[in-house]
Amino acid sequence: MLLQAIITGILMGLLFALIALGLTIIFGVMEFVNFAHGEFLLVGMLTAFYANQLLGLDPLASIPLSALAASILGVATYHFLVRHVIRGPMIAQLFSTFGLMLFLQNLFLFLTGSNYKMVKRGWLIGKSVRIAEGLVLDLSVLAAGVVAIVAFALIYYLFNHTRIGMAMRATALDGLGATLMGIRTERINYLAWALASAIVGIAGALLANFYYIYPTVGLVFVMIAFATVALGGFGSIGGAFVAGVLIGVIEVVGGLYVGSQFKFTIVYATYLLVVLLRPKGLFGW
Amino acid sequence: MVMPRFLTYLIRDVRSFSVPARIVLGGGLLFLCLMPHLGFSSFFRTVVIQFLLFSFLAMGWNAIGGYGGQIDIGLAQFLAIGAYTSTMLLVWWDVPPWFSAPVGMLLAVAWCVIIGYPLFALKGHYFAIATIAAVLVLKDLFSNWELIHASRGVHLPLKQAPSLLYLQFHTNIPLYYVVLAMFLGGLIFLNWFRGDRLGYQLRAVKENDEAAKSLGIDIRIAKLKAYAIAAAFAALGGSFHAIYTMYIDPEAVMSTELSMQIALMAMLGGAGTLWGPIIGAAILVPLDRFLGSALGGSKSLQGLDLMIYGAIIMILAAVEPRGIMGILQRITRAVRGDRP
Repeated sequence: MLLQAIITGILMGLLFALIALGLTIIFGVMEFVNFAHGEFLLVGMLTAFYANQLLGLDPLASIPLSALAASILGVATYHFLVRHVIRGPMIAQLFSTFGLMLFLQNLFLFLTGSNYKMVKRGWLIGKSVRIAEGLVLDLSVLAAGVVAIVAFALIYYLFNHTRIGMAMRATALDGLGATLMGIRTERINYLAWALASAIVGIAGALLANFYYIYPTVGLVFVMIAFATVALGGFGSIGGAFVAGVLIGVIEVVGGLYVGSQFKFTIVYATYLLVVLLRPKGLFGW
Repeated sequence: MVMPRFLTYLIRDVRSFSVPARIVLGGGLLFLCLMPHLGFSSFFRTVVIQFLLFSFLAMGWNAIGGYGGQIDIGLAQFLAIGAYTSTMLLVWWDVPPWFSAPVGMLLAVAWCVIIGYPLFALKGHYFAIATIAAVLVLKDLFSNWELIHASRGVHLPLKQAPSLLYLQFHTNIPLYYVVLAMFLGGLIFLNWFRGDRLGYQLRAVKENDEAAKSLGIDIRIAKLKAYAIAAAFAALGGSFHAIYTMYIDPEAVMSTELSMQIALMAMLGGAGTLWGPIIGAAILVPLDRFLGSALGGSKSLQGLDLMIYGAIIMILAAVEPRGIMGILQRITRAVRGDRP
């Protein structure tokens, strides 16, 4: 029971970490918090759902589509909204993405209705694998965890071993300094939004494999993503990874022992406790 | 005779108004006082009640979010404390709202000190996100707490006869005057607050907290005082909400959307200004209700009202972060021919 919960928790946690990764990249590059991040996830989920419905694609096969859709939304958000509020007061920054969140949530309510949707046909749907006595893993959850690890490895490589990734890190550390070194920081900003949104779109496709889709689903996950990012330290990629896994385990194991109605309560309470003790998170600086 | 400070401020500020402003405000006040007797539909009256209630809540938010500069997205938790205190005291011991509402306000203030003291170590986004998390924790606890009927919610017991003591009547006209009194009282209180010591301290903290600290302002205490005001406003609003709707549940009184709506109204009108929350509520509440009744009725158009709502907020954040008050200031400057 416990082992099962821990492993499921780790797998869910990897997905949480992937969702939080997009948030933390944007925060790292431009100190901006996107409250509509959950709706970007929803775009990924809906893309996977409709690709499944209309084209018969498996959610795993529609990962590129989901990434593309979310990425387009991300670039549009930066171009039309964030660019105009980023130099304004913090209150305007916060409310601009609240507005976006309300707008997107209700756009999807308007377009797709409030009913719960679920991907029903797919390679892994409803299949599970028995690894040992009492240890049965849902294949779609397992796939989510594996893809999340691959994505993290790629992002880690991108940020540490490519020129473009190093340029992003330079912009994150010191925007003005990066500009003086000849980095076109405005391009880096667009790139950060495209990349971060693509990542959360991928997470959406993975999530669509085993989770209900409805217009306000983003709120649950965006809160977990905030908790993850704050726990790991805003802007820290490794921090998001560790904190995501930690939160996944806390959620599943806590839900097992305290009651599943409290699984998110425990996550939020842990988050509050940690930020009060370490306001910059576990790995923040 | 020594006049109370809030009265001197009120008289001073009213005197400083220009003639057109006096006419608009006097007319508005007269309209609000006479509204129930002018033959408007009861739907219109409920919209005005909602407007007054949300103005009152947004005024409370303005104390911490506008003047204090601490973006709180968790005001609904204090609203819920007020609503549940009034409701449960009535259910258990038949306590009238006149007594339970102040108890609710005290409990809300106590709770705001408990969570505010640690939370004010956080700044900016960190504070905003932590307040959302705090409400989510409280909401989950309320939703599973059998003593207060968990997520099923509570119906307020109905009295046999209309009663001023229990604020239950055949029509909503008396309650209209209750919320109008709250609205006017809140306005006068905030007018005092912004011109008084604490108001100035908070603005100093908001502009530059290090400089404020060096002037001897205890930042945390100043923020806590503002938070207590916000909590008390929200709790009183919550008590009214419970008595007005006669039914509460955790989803209705402490959802994240409700907290956001309150904050958005103050922001739309102009955070940190006296009239901002009222202007914001005057735009968003009718927008919500009329669009809601015009569009929400048909299933195919659901969501359209809140889409418009979200779009307005995005555009305003990008174009004029000071809200409608900022736009009004620009217009008055342009009319007077001042340089900005």
